[in-house]
Amino acid sequence: MTTPKLRRLVQLLARLPGVGEKTAQRYVLYLLAADPSIARDLGEELSRLHETIRPCDECGNLAEADGQSPLLCQVCRDDRRDPALLCVVGRVQDLLAIERTGTMRGRYFVLGKLLSPLDGVGPESLPIPRLKQKIARDGVRELIVATPPSVDGEATALLLKRELDGVGIPLTRIASGVPHGGDLEFADPITMGRALSGRQRL
Amino acid sequence: MRAQHVSALSVRSFRNIAQADVSLGPRFNVVSGDNGQGKTSLLEAVYVALTSRSFRATKIEESIAFGATQALVRARIDSDDGARWQSVGLRRGGRDLRLDDKRPRSSSEFATRAPVVVFHPGEISLSAGSGAERRRLLDRVALFSSPSAGDELARYTRAVRSRQAALESRGAGSSDLGEWEELSAVHGARVVEARRRALAALAEVAQSTFGELLPEVRFDLVYSATAPSDVADFASELRRSRSIDVRRGSASIGPHRDDLRLELGGKASRRTASQGQHRAIVLSLKMAELAAVGALSSLRPVLLLDDVSSELDRARSTALFSLLSRASGQVLLSTTRPEIIETTGDRVDFVVRAGAISPL
Repeated sequence: MTTPKLRRLVQLLARLPGVGEKTAQRYVLYLLAADPSIARDLGEELSRLHETIRPCDECGNLAEADGQSPLLCQVCRDDRRDPALLCVVGRVQDLLAIERTGTMRGRYFVLGKLLSPLDGVGPESLPIPRLKQKIARDGVRELIVATPPSVDGEATALLLKRELDGVGIPLTRIASGVPHGGDLEFADPITMGRALSGRQRL
Repeated sequence: MRAQHVSALSVRSFRNIAQADVSLGPRFNVVSGDNGQGKTSLLEAVYVALTSRSFRATKIEESIAFGATQALVRARIDSDDGARWQSVGLRRGGRDLRLDDKRPRSSSEFATRAPVVVFHPGEISLSAGSGAERRRLLDRVALFSSPSAGDELARYTRAVRSRQAALESRGAGSSDLGEWEELSAVHGARVVEARRRALAALAEVAQSTFGELLPEVRFDLVYSATAPSDVADFASELRRSRSIDVRRGSASIGPHRDDLRLELGGKASRRTASQGQHRAIVLSLKMAELAAVGALSSLRPVLLLDDVSSELDRARSTALFSLLSRASGQVLLSTTRPEIIETTGDRVDFVVRAGAISPL
Protein backbone atom coordinates (compact mmCIF):
# COMPACT_ATOMS: atom_id res chain seq x y z
CA MET A 1 0.00 0.00 0.00
CA THR A 2 1.46 3.29 -1.06
CA THR A 3 -0.55 6.11 0.48
CA PRO A 4 -1.08 6.84 4.18
CA LYS A 5 -4.90 6.76 3.81
CA LEU A 6 -4.80 3.31 2.22
CA ARG A 7 -2.42 2.03 4.87
CA ARG A 8 -4.72 3.32 7.57
CA LEU A 9 -7.73 1.61 6.04
CA VAL A 10 -5.84 -1.68 5.73
CA GLN A 11 -4.81 -1.46 9.35
CA LEU A 12 -8.37 -0.78 10.47
CA LEU A 13 -9.73 -3.75 8.53
CA ALA A 14 -6.92 -5.98 9.79
CA ARG A 15 -8.21 -5.45 13.32
CA LEU A 16 -11.32 -7.48 12.52
CA PRO A 17 -11.26 -11.08 13.77
CA GLY A 18 -10.01 -13.53 11.16
CA VAL A 19 -8.69 -10.77 8.89
CA GLY A 20 -4.95 -10.40 8.39
CA GLU A 21 -3.09 -7.67 6.52
CA LYS A 22 -3.21 -9.55 3.22
CA THR A 23 -6.96 -10.07 3.38
CA ALA A 24 -7.44 -6.46 4.49
CA GLN A 25 -5.47 -5.28 1.47
CA ARG A 26 -7.59 -7.49 -0.76
CA TYR A 27 -10.76 -5.89 0.64
CA VAL A 28 -9.44 -2.38 0.09
CA LEU A 29 -8.36 -3.10 -3.47
CA TYR A 30 -11.72 -4.69 -4.17
CA LEU A 31 -13.58 -1.69 -2.78
CA LEU A 32 -11.48 0.61 -4.97
CA ALA A 33 -12.13 -1.40 -8.11
CA ALA A 34 -15.83 -2.16 -7.52
CA ASP A 35 -18.87 0.13 -7.87
CA PRO A 36 -18.24 3.14 -5.56
CA SER A 37 -21.72 2.70 -4.04
CA ILE A 38 -20.52 -0.44 -2.26
CA ALA A 39 -17.87 1.49 -0.34
CA ARG A 40 -20.29 4.37 0.28
CA ASP A 41 -23.10 2.17 1.59
CA LEU A 42 -20.68 0.23 3.77
CA GLY A 43 -19.25 3.44 5.18
CA GLU A 44 -22.67 4.89 5.93
CA GLU A 45 -23.85 1.74 7.68
CA LEU A 46 -20.65 1.45 9.69
CA SER A 47 -20.71 5.09 10.79
CA ARG A 48 -24.25 4.67 12.19
CA LEU A 49 -23.76 1.12 13.51
CA HIS A 50 -23.48 2.01 17.17
CA GLU A 51 -26.48 4.33 17.11
CA THR A 52 -28.77 1.93 15.23
CA ILE A 53 -27.86 -1.40 16.78
CA ARG A 54 -27.94 -1.50 20.57
CA PRO A 55 -28.51 -4.11 23.25
CA CYS A 56 -32.15 -4.87 24.01
CA ASP A 57 -33.11 -3.26 27.33
CA GLU A 58 -34.93 -6.42 28.30
CA CYS A 59 -32.55 -9.28 27.42
CA GLY A 60 -29.30 -7.91 25.98
CA ASN A 61 -29.90 -9.32 22.47
CA LEU A 62 -29.17 -7.07 19.48
CA ALA A 63 -31.96 -4.62 18.79
CA GLU A 64 -32.52 -1.90 16.23
CA ALA A 65 -33.06 1.54 17.74
CA ASP A 66 -36.38 3.07 16.63
CA GLY A 67 -36.62 5.94 19.10
CA GLN A 68 -38.98 3.99 21.36
CA SER A 69 -38.21 3.29 24.98
CA PRO A 70 -37.62 0.67 26.25
CA LEU A 71 -35.64 -0.63 23.29
CA LEU A 72 -36.79 -4.19 22.52
CA CYS A 73 -35.31 -6.87 20.26
CA GLN A 74 -37.31 -9.05 17.84
CA VAL A 75 -37.54 -11.91 20.34
CA CYS A 76 -38.82 -9.75 23.20
CA ARG A 77 -41.40 -8.14 20.87
CA ASP A 78 -42.69 -11.52 19.71
CA ASP A 79 -45.97 -12.20 21.60
CA ARG A 80 -45.97 -15.87 20.66
CA ARG A 81 -42.89 -16.45 22.83
CA ASP A 82 -43.48 -18.04 26.22
CA PRO A 83 -42.19 -15.58 28.85
CA ALA A 84 -42.21 -18.36 31.48
CA LEU A 85 -39.30 -20.12 29.74
CA LEU A 86 -36.04 -18.23 29.95
CA CYS A 87 -32.71 -19.23 28.43
CA VAL A 88 -29.51 -17.70 29.82
CA VAL A 89 -26.61 -17.42 27.37
CA GLY A 90 -23.13 -15.95 27.63
CA ARG A 91 -22.93 -14.00 24.40
CA VAL A 92 -25.22 -12.80 21.63
CA GLN A 93 -23.52 -15.30 19.26
CA ASP A 94 -24.79 -18.13 21.46
CA LEU A 95 -28.33 -16.72 21.37
CA LEU A 96 -28.16 -16.57 17.57
CA ALA A 97 -26.95 -20.18 17.45
CA ILE A 98 -29.92 -21.33 19.55
CA GLU A 99 -32.34 -19.19 17.51
CA ARG A 100 -31.13 -20.90 14.31
CA THR A 101 -32.45 -24.20 15.67
CA GLY A 102 -35.97 -22.77 15.66
CA THR A 103 -36.83 -24.92 18.70
CA MET A 104 -36.57 -22.31 21.42
CA ARG A 105 -40.08 -21.04 22.17
CA GLY A 106 -39.12 -18.96 25.21
CA ARG A 107 -37.10 -15.82 25.67
CA TYR A 108 -33.45 -15.11 26.44
CA PHE A 109 -31.16 -13.35 28.83
CA VAL A 110 -27.66 -12.44 27.62
CA LEU A 111 -25.07 -12.23 30.40
CA GLY A 112 -22.56 -10.50 28.14
CA LYS A 113 -19.65 -12.25 29.82
CA LEU A 114 -18.73 -15.36 31.73
CA LEU A 115 -17.17 -15.64 35.14
CA SER A 116 -13.40 -15.44 34.56
CA PRO A 117 -11.21 -14.18 37.43
CA LEU A 118 -8.11 -14.65 35.27
CA ASP A 119 -9.51 -11.92 33.02
CA GLY A 120 -10.74 -9.85 35.95
CA VAL A 121 -14.40 -10.88 35.65
CA GLY A 122 -15.93 -11.63 39.05
CA PRO A 123 -19.55 -12.28 40.08
CA GLU A 124 -20.19 -8.54 40.58
CA SER A 125 -19.53 -7.96 36.86
CA LEU A 126 -22.41 -10.25 35.89
CA PRO A 127 -25.95 -8.80 35.59
CA ILE A 128 -27.41 -11.19 38.16
CA PRO A 129 -29.66 -8.63 39.93
CA ARG A 130 -31.22 -7.77 36.53
CA LEU A 131 -31.72 -11.46 35.83
CA LYS A 132 -33.49 -11.94 39.17
CA GLN A 133 -35.75 -8.97 38.47
CA LYS A 134 -36.65 -10.37 35.06
CA ILE A 135 -37.44 -13.79 36.52
CA ALA A 136 -39.78 -12.23 39.09
CA ARG A 137 -41.43 -9.78 36.67
CA ASP A 138 -42.02 -12.23 33.81
CA GLY A 139 -43.14 -15.12 36.03
CA VAL A 140 -40.40 -17.41 34.72
CA ARG A 141 -41.07 -21.07 35.54
CA GLU A 142 -38.01 -22.73 33.98
CA LEU A 143 -34.53 -21.36 33.47
CA ILE A 144 -32.35 -23.03 30.84
CA VAL A 145 -28.66 -22.37 31.51
CA ALA A 146 -26.98 -22.42 28.10
CA THR A 147 -23.51 -21.17 28.97
CA PRO A 148 -20.79 -23.01 27.01
CA PRO A 149 -19.28 -26.27 28.34
CA SER A 150 -15.93 -24.55 28.97
CA VAL A 151 -14.55 -24.21 32.52
CA ASP A 152 -15.70 -20.56 32.67
CA GLY A 153 -19.12 -21.52 31.30
CA GLU A 154 -19.50 -24.30 33.88
CA ALA A 155 -18.43 -22.00 36.71
CA THR A 156 -20.98 -19.42 35.55
CA ALA A 157 -23.68 -22.12 35.49
CA LEU A 158 -22.78 -23.17 39.05
CA LEU A 159 -22.86 -19.55 40.17
CA LEU A 160 -26.34 -19.08 38.67
CA LYS A 161 -27.49 -22.27 40.37
CA ARG A 162 -26.37 -20.96 43.76
CA GLU A 163 -27.62 -17.40 43.21
CA LEU A 164 -31.05 -18.58 42.10
CA ASP A 165 -31.36 -21.28 44.71
CA GLY A 166 -33.96 -19.37 46.71
CA VAL A 167 -35.96 -18.24 43.69
CA GLY A 168 -37.80 -21.55 43.57
CA ILE A 169 -37.82 -22.34 39.83
CA PRO A 170 -36.24 -25.39 38.19
CA LEU A 171 -32.91 -24.77 36.47
CA THR A 172 -31.88 -26.99 33.56
CA ARG A 173 -28.51 -27.25 31.83
CA ILE A 174 -28.14 -27.86 28.09
CA ALA A 175 -26.86 -31.34 27.22
CA SER A 176 -23.55 -31.99 25.56
CA GLY A 177 -22.84 -34.91 23.24
CA VAL A 178 -22.55 -36.33 19.76
CA PRO A 179 -23.65 -34.27 16.75
CA HIS A 180 -26.81 -35.21 14.88
CA GLY A 181 -26.34 -37.19 11.68
CA GLY A 182 -22.77 -38.02 12.56
CA ASP A 183 -21.52 -41.56 12.87
CA LEU A 184 -20.57 -42.39 16.42
CA GLU A 185 -17.18 -43.60 15.22
CA PHE A 186 -16.24 -40.07 14.23
CA ALA A 187 -17.08 -38.47 17.59
CA ASP A 188 -13.99 -37.43 19.52
CA PRO A 189 -13.45 -39.28 22.81
CA ILE A 190 -14.26 -36.27 25.01
CA THR A 191 -17.60 -35.58 23.31
CA MET A 192 -18.41 -39.29 23.31
CA GLY A 193 -17.58 -39.47 27.03
CA ARG A 194 -19.89 -36.54 27.77
CA ALA A 195 -22.65 -38.11 25.68
CA LEU A 196 -22.33 -41.33 27.67
CA SER A 197 -22.33 -39.67 31.07
CA GLY A 198 -25.33 -37.53 30.07
CA ARG A 199 -27.35 -40.48 28.70
CA GLN A 200 -31.15 -40.56 29.07
CA ARG A 201 -33.63 -43.34 29.73
CA LEU A 202 -35.13 -44.78 26.54
CA MET B 1 2.36 -53.55 18.11
CA ARG B 2 2.30 -51.96 14.69
CA ALA B 3 5.51 -50.56 13.29
CA GLN B 4 5.80 -46.95 12.21
CA HIS B 5 8.67 -44.60 11.66
CA VAL B 6 9.50 -41.05 10.68
CA SER B 7 10.74 -41.48 7.12
CA ALA B 8 11.33 -37.84 6.28
CA LEU B 9 11.77 -34.66 8.24
CA SER B 10 11.72 -31.05 7.03
CA VAL B 11 12.93 -28.31 9.30
CA ARG B 12 12.82 -24.53 8.69
CA SER B 13 14.25 -21.84 11.00
CA PHE B 14 14.27 -24.11 14.01
CA ARG B 15 17.03 -23.20 16.51
CA ASN B 16 20.29 -23.18 14.53
CA ILE B 17 18.88 -25.28 11.68
CA ALA B 18 17.98 -22.81 8.95
CA GLN B 19 16.79 -25.45 6.52
CA ALA B 20 17.04 -29.22 6.46
CA ASP B 21 15.32 -32.01 4.57
CA VAL B 22 16.37 -35.39 5.85
CA SER B 23 15.39 -38.95 4.98
CA LEU B 24 15.52 -41.20 8.03
CA GLY B 25 15.96 -44.97 8.27
CA PRO B 26 13.31 -47.21 9.86
CA ARG B 27 15.72 -48.49 12.52
CA PHE B 28 18.86 -46.78 13.83
CA ASN B 29 19.71 -43.22 12.93
CA VAL B 30 22.97 -42.01 14.41
CA VAL B 31 23.46 -38.25 14.42
CA SER B 32 27.01 -37.18 15.17
CA GLY B 33 28.85 -33.91 15.37
CA ASP B 34 30.72 -31.72 17.81
CA ASN B 35 28.95 -29.98 20.65
CA GLY B 36 26.82 -26.99 19.74
CA GLN B 37 26.38 -27.96 16.08
CA GLY B 38 22.68 -28.83 16.27
CA LYS B 39 22.42 -32.54 17.10
CA THR B 40 19.99 -32.04 19.94
CA SER B 41 18.05 -29.53 17.83
CA LEU B 42 17.48 -32.19 15.19
CA LEU B 43 16.14 -34.63 17.79
CA GLU B 44 14.08 -31.86 19.30
CA ALA B 45 12.62 -31.09 15.85
CA VAL B 46 11.43 -34.70 15.58
CA TYR B 47 9.91 -34.48 19.06
CA VAL B 48 8.13 -31.22 18.23
CA ALA B 49 6.78 -32.64 14.96
CA LEU B 50 5.33 -35.64 16.81
CA THR B 51 4.05 -33.97 19.98
CA SER B 52 3.92 -30.18 19.30
CA ARG B 53 5.99 -29.75 22.45
CA SER B 54 9.67 -29.42 23.17
CA PHE B 55 11.65 -31.47 25.65
CA ARG B 56 14.02 -28.54 26.15
CA ALA B 57 12.52 -25.07 26.30
CA THR B 58 9.63 -24.33 28.57
CA LYS B 59 8.40 -21.84 26.00
CA ILE B 60 8.33 -23.42 22.58
CA GLU B 61 8.67 -20.02 20.90
CA GLU B 62 12.26 -19.98 22.11
CA SER B 63 13.09 -22.58 19.49
CA ILE B 64 12.37 -20.21 16.59
CA ALA B 65 15.71 -19.40 14.95
CA PHE B 66 17.25 -16.07 15.86
CA GLY B 67 16.10 -13.42 13.41
CA ALA B 68 13.22 -15.54 12.03
CA THR B 69 9.55 -14.85 12.78
CA GLN B 70 8.36 -18.41 12.38
CA ALA B 71 9.64 -21.97 12.36
CA LEU B 72 8.26 -25.13 10.79
CA VAL B 73 8.87 -28.81 11.41
CA ARG B 74 7.16 -31.43 9.30
CA ALA B 75 7.46 -35.20 9.58
CA ARG B 76 6.36 -37.92 7.19
CA ILE B 77 5.37 -41.04 9.09
CA ASP B 78 5.33 -44.40 7.33
CA SER B 79 3.43 -47.42 8.58
CA ASP B 80 1.60 -50.41 7.12
CA ASP B 81 -1.36 -48.09 6.55
CA GLY B 82 0.70 -45.87 4.26
CA ALA B 83 2.25 -42.47 4.73
CA ARG B 84 0.89 -39.50 6.62
CA TRP B 85 2.18 -36.10 7.62
CA GLN B 86 2.36 -34.18 10.85
CA SER B 87 3.56 -30.62 11.05
CA VAL B 88 3.96 -27.88 13.61
CA GLY B 89 4.34 -24.24 12.65
CA LEU B 90 5.65 -21.99 15.38
CA ARG B 91 5.04 -18.26 15.68
CA ARG B 92 5.56 -16.00 18.61
CA GLY B 93 2.40 -16.47 20.58
CA GLY B 94 1.14 -19.58 18.85
CA ARG B 95 1.48 -23.01 17.31
CA ASP B 96 -0.21 -24.26 14.18
CA LEU B 97 -0.72 -28.02 14.27
CA ARG B 98 -1.59 -30.14 11.23
CA LEU B 99 -2.34 -33.81 10.78
CA ASP B 100 -2.32 -34.48 7.04
CA ASP B 101 -2.85 -30.75 6.48
CA LYS B 102 -5.95 -30.71 8.69
CA ARG B 103 -6.20 -29.14 12.13
CA PRO B 104 -6.40 -31.78 14.84
CA ARG B 105 -9.33 -31.61 17.26
CA SER B 106 -6.98 -31.19 20.18
CA SER B 107 -3.29 -31.09 20.97
CA SER B 108 -3.77 -34.45 22.74
CA GLU B 109 -5.02 -35.99 19.52
CA PHE B 110 -1.97 -34.60 17.76
CA ALA B 111 0.49 -35.85 20.38
CA THR B 112 -0.84 -39.42 20.49
CA ARG B 113 -0.84 -40.29 16.78
CA ALA B 114 2.86 -41.15 16.62
CA PRO B 115 4.10 -42.01 20.11
CA VAL B 116 7.63 -40.93 20.93
CA VAL B 117 9.82 -41.37 23.99
CA VAL B 118 12.84 -39.19 24.63
CA PHE B 119 15.80 -39.85 26.88
CA HIS B 120 18.09 -36.87 27.41
CA PRO B 121 20.78 -35.96 29.97
CA GLY B 122 18.53 -33.61 31.94
CA GLU B 123 16.28 -36.49 32.86
CA ILE B 124 18.27 -37.46 35.91
CA SER B 125 15.85 -35.00 37.56
CA LEU B 126 13.11 -37.60 37.06
CA SER B 127 14.61 -39.37 40.05
CA ALA B 128 16.60 -36.68 41.86
CA GLY B 129 14.55 -33.56 41.12
CA SER B 130 11.24 -32.08 42.20
CA GLY B 131 7.93 -33.69 41.37
CA ALA B 132 7.35 -31.69 38.18
CA GLU B 133 9.18 -34.11 35.87
CA ARG B 134 7.48 -37.11 37.43
CA ARG B 135 4.03 -35.52 37.10
CA ARG B 136 4.81 -34.80 33.46
CA LEU B 137 5.77 -38.45 32.94
CA LEU B 138 2.42 -39.58 34.34
CA ASP B 139 0.52 -36.96 32.32
CA ARG B 140 2.29 -38.01 29.10
CA VAL B 141 1.41 -41.66 29.61
CA ALA B 142 -2.12 -40.69 30.71
CA LEU B 143 -2.75 -39.18 27.25
CA PHE B 144 -2.57 -42.75 25.94
CA SER B 145 -4.45 -44.49 28.75
CA SER B 146 -7.31 -41.98 29.17
CA PRO B 147 -8.33 -40.07 26.02
CA SER B 148 -9.73 -37.14 28.01
CA ALA B 149 -6.70 -36.80 30.33
CA GLY B 150 -5.24 -33.82 28.48
CA ASP B 151 -8.58 -32.01 28.50
CA GLU B 152 -9.16 -32.74 32.19
CA LEU B 153 -5.71 -31.45 33.12
CA ALA B 154 -6.30 -28.23 31.15
CA ARG B 155 -9.69 -27.77 32.84
CA TYR B 156 -8.27 -28.47 36.28
CA THR B 157 -5.47 -25.97 35.71
CA ARG B 158 -7.87 -23.28 34.52
CA ALA B 159 -10.23 -23.86 37.47
CA VAL B 160 -7.55 -23.86 40.15
CA ARG B 161 -5.86 -20.76 38.69
CA SER B 162 -9.23 -18.98 38.48
CA ARG B 163 -9.78 -19.75 42.15
CA GLN B 164 -6.37 -18.31 42.98
CA ALA B 165 -7.03 -15.18 40.91
CA ALA B 166 -10.39 -14.71 42.68
CA LEU B 167 -8.74 -15.24 46.07
CA GLU B 168 -5.98 -12.77 45.37
CA SER B 169 -8.08 -10.07 43.75
CA ARG B 170 -11.19 -10.24 45.94
CA GLY B 171 -10.06 -12.04 49.07
CA ALA B 172 -11.12 -15.19 50.90
CA GLY B 173 -14.72 -13.96 51.04
CA SER B 174 -15.34 -13.59 47.30
CA SER B 175 -18.58 -15.28 46.43
CA ASP B 176 -17.49 -17.37 43.41
CA LEU B 177 -14.77 -19.33 45.25
CA GLY B 178 -17.15 -22.22 45.88
CA GLU B 179 -17.79 -22.61 42.16
CA TRP B 180 -14.07 -22.71 41.30
CA GLU B 181 -13.39 -25.10 44.17
CA GLU B 182 -16.11 -27.46 42.99
CA LEU B 183 -14.74 -27.44 39.44
CA SER B 184 -11.15 -27.81 40.67
CA ALA B 185 -12.22 -30.85 42.68
CA VAL B 186 -14.28 -32.42 39.86
CA HIS B 187 -11.52 -32.11 37.25
CA GLY B 188 -8.68 -32.59 39.76
CA ALA B 189 -10.12 -35.94 40.85
CA ARG B 190 -10.26 -37.04 37.20
CA VAL B 191 -6.65 -35.98 36.67
CA VAL B 192 -5.60 -38.10 39.65
CA GLU B 193 -7.64 -41.04 38.36
CA ALA B 194 -5.95 -40.79 34.94
CA ARG B 195 -2.52 -40.57 36.56
CA ARG B 196 -3.20 -43.63 38.69
CA ARG B 197 -4.13 -45.56 35.55
CA ALA B 198 -0.93 -44.32 33.90
CA LEU B 199 1.07 -45.43 36.93
CA ALA B 200 -0.53 -48.88 36.77
CA ALA B 201 0.64 -49.12 33.16
CA LEU B 202 4.19 -48.08 34.13
CA ALA B 203 4.82 -49.83 37.43
CA GLU B 204 5.41 -53.41 36.36
CA VAL B 205 8.04 -52.72 33.70
CA ALA B 206 9.70 -50.09 35.88
CA GLN B 207 10.07 -52.56 38.74
CA SER B 208 11.23 -55.48 36.62
CA THR B 209 13.83 -53.33 34.81
CA PHE B 210 15.11 -51.98 38.08
CA GLY B 211 15.26 -55.50 39.47
CA GLU B 212 17.52 -56.58 36.61
CA LEU B 213 19.87 -53.65 37.17
CA LEU B 214 20.01 -53.64 40.96
CA PRO B 215 18.36 -56.83 42.24
CA GLU B 216 19.39 -56.31 45.86
CA VAL B 217 17.06 -53.39 46.61
CA ARG B 218 13.29 -53.16 46.29
CA PHE B 219 11.89 -50.39 44.06
CA ASP B 220 8.35 -49.09 44.58
CA LEU B 221 6.32 -46.43 42.80
CA VAL B 222 3.57 -44.81 44.84
CA TYR B 223 1.16 -42.09 43.77
CA SER B 224 1.22 -39.56 46.55
CA ALA B 225 -1.96 -37.48 46.46
CA THR B 226 -2.30 -34.21 48.37
CA ALA B 227 -6.10 -33.97 48.05
CA PRO B 228 -8.86 -36.39 49.11
CA SER B 229 -10.13 -38.64 46.32
CA ASP B 230 -13.75 -37.84 47.16
CA VAL B 231 -14.83 -34.77 45.18
CA ALA B 232 -16.87 -33.21 47.99
CA ASP B 233 -14.04 -33.69 50.51
CA PHE B 234 -11.55 -32.28 48.01
CA ALA B 235 -13.69 -29.16 47.56
CA SER B 236 -14.20 -28.62 51.29
CA GLU B 237 -10.50 -28.99 51.97
CA LEU B 238 -9.85 -26.30 49.36
CA ARG B 239 -12.40 -24.14 51.16
CA ARG B 240 -10.58 -24.62 54.45
CA SER B 241 -7.19 -23.69 52.98
CA ARG B 242 -8.31 -20.38 51.46
CA SER B 243 -6.49 -18.12 53.89
CA ILE B 244 -3.27 -20.15 53.63
CA ASP B 245 -3.50 -20.24 49.85
CA VAL B 246 -3.81 -16.46 49.52
CA ARG B 247 -0.47 -16.16 51.31
CA ARG B 248 1.32 -18.99 49.52
CA GLY B 249 0.20 -17.81 46.06
CA SER B 250 -1.25 -21.14 44.91
CA ALA B 251 -3.54 -23.93 46.07
CA SER B 252 -1.86 -26.01 48.74
CA ILE B 253 -3.55 -29.24 47.66
CA GLY B 254 -4.41 -30.81 44.32
CA PRO B 255 -2.80 -32.75 41.46
CA HIS B 256 -0.38 -29.89 40.72
CA ARG B 257 1.22 -30.64 44.10
CA ASP B 258 1.02 -34.45 43.94
CA ASP B 259 4.05 -36.57 43.37
CA LEU B 260 4.99 -39.95 42.04
CA ARG B 261 6.97 -41.11 45.05
CA LEU B 262 9.86 -43.40 44.24
CA GLU B 263 11.01 -45.63 47.05
CA LEU B 264 14.10 -47.77 47.44
CA GLY B 265 13.70 -50.31 50.22
CA GLY B 266 10.76 -48.32 51.54
CA LYS B 267 12.63 -44.99 51.70
CA ALA B 268 12.08 -42.00 49.42
CA SER B 269 14.80 -42.25 46.78
CA ARG B 270 14.97 -38.56 45.99
CA ARG B 271 17.32 -37.79 48.85
CA THR B 272 18.77 -41.13 49.83
CA ALA B 273 19.67 -42.79 46.51
CA SER B 274 23.23 -42.94 45.19
CA GLN B 275 24.12 -41.62 41.73
CA GLY B 276 24.08 -45.18 40.40
CA GLN B 277 20.66 -45.83 41.90
CA HIS B 278 19.30 -42.58 40.45
CA ARG B 279 20.47 -43.67 37.00
CA ALA B 280 18.91 -47.10 37.41
CA ILE B 281 15.63 -45.47 38.43
CA VAL B 282 15.64 -43.10 35.45
CA LEU B 283 16.41 -45.93 33.05
CA SER B 284 13.66 -48.07 34.58
CA LEU B 285 11.13 -45.25 34.24
CA LYS B 286 12.11 -44.64 30.62
CA MET B 287 11.91 -48.36 29.79
CA ALA B 288 8.51 -48.38 31.44
CA GLU B 289 7.37 -45.33 29.44
CA LEU B 290 8.49 -46.98 26.22
CA ALA B 291 6.65 -50.20 27.07
CA ALA B 292 3.52 -48.50 28.42
CA VAL B 293 3.10 -46.05 25.55
CA GLY B 294 3.69 -48.90 23.09
CA ALA B 295 1.17 -51.20 24.76
CA LEU B 296 -1.50 -48.50 25.18
CA SER B 297 -1.23 -47.13 21.63
CA SER B 298 -0.46 -50.46 19.94
CA LEU B 299 2.21 -48.56 18.03
CA ARG B 300 5.95 -48.94 18.37
CA PRO B 301 7.16 -45.64 19.81
CA VAL B 302 9.98 -43.71 18.19
CA LEU B 303 12.88 -43.50 20.64
CA LEU B 304 15.06 -40.38 20.83
CA LEU B 305 18.32 -40.70 22.73
CA ASP B 306 20.10 -37.43 23.16
CA ASP B 307 23.81 -37.15 23.81
CA VAL B 308 25.02 -40.73 24.02
CA SER B 309 28.53 -39.65 24.69
CA SER B 310 31.75 -39.96 26.48
CA GLU B 311 33.44 -42.83 28.22
CA LEU B 312 33.61 -40.55 31.25
CA ASP B 313 30.02 -41.39 31.94
CA ARG B 314 30.30 -45.13 31.60
CA ALA B 315 27.36 -45.96 33.81
CA ARG B 316 25.07 -43.79 31.80
CA SER B 317 26.25 -45.24 28.50
CA THR B 318 25.65 -48.76 29.76
CA ALA B 319 22.15 -47.76 30.71
CA LEU B 320 21.56 -46.21 27.31
CA PHE B 321 22.78 -49.28 25.42
CA SER B 322 20.52 -51.46 27.45
CA LEU B 323 17.62 -49.19 26.48
CA LEU B 324 18.78 -49.32 22.89
CA SER B 325 18.84 -53.09 22.81
CA ARG B 326 15.20 -53.25 23.85
CA ALA B 327 13.78 -50.60 21.59
CA SER B 328 12.34 -52.52 18.70
CA GLY B 329 11.18 -49.49 16.72
CA GLN B 330 12.87 -46.50 15.17
CA VAL B 331 15.72 -44.96 17.14
CA LEU B 332 17.36 -41.58 16.64
CA LEU B 333 20.41 -40.97 18.73
CA SER B 334 22.90 -38.14 18.95
CA THR B 335 26.50 -38.52 19.95
CA THR B 336 29.89 -36.85 19.67
CA ARG B 337 31.46 -40.30 19.12
CA PRO B 338 29.58 -42.37 16.53
CA GLU B 339 32.24 -45.10 16.66
CA ILE B 340 31.22 -46.19 20.17
CA ILE B 341 27.62 -46.79 19.15
CA GLU B 342 27.07 -50.48 18.55
CA THR B 343 23.93 -51.28 16.67
CA THR B 344 22.52 -54.38 15.12
CA GLY B 345 20.41 -54.00 12.03
CA ASP B 346 19.80 -51.10 9.65
CA ARG B 347 21.77 -48.02 10.47
CA VAL B 348 21.99 -44.61 8.85
CA ASP B 349 24.61 -42.10 9.92
CA PHE B 350 24.35 -38.31 9.75
CA VAL B 351 26.74 -35.51 10.53
CA VAL B 352 25.58 -32.16 11.86
CA ARG B 353 27.84 -29.16 11.38
CA ALA B 354 26.73 -25.59 12.10
CA GLY B 355 23.09 -26.51 11.69
CA ALA B 356 23.59 -28.32 8.37
CA ILE B 357 22.71 -32.01 8.28
CA SER B 358 24.31 -34.39 5.79
CA PRO B 359 24.30 -38.18 5.44
CA LEU B 360 27.65 -39.76 6.15
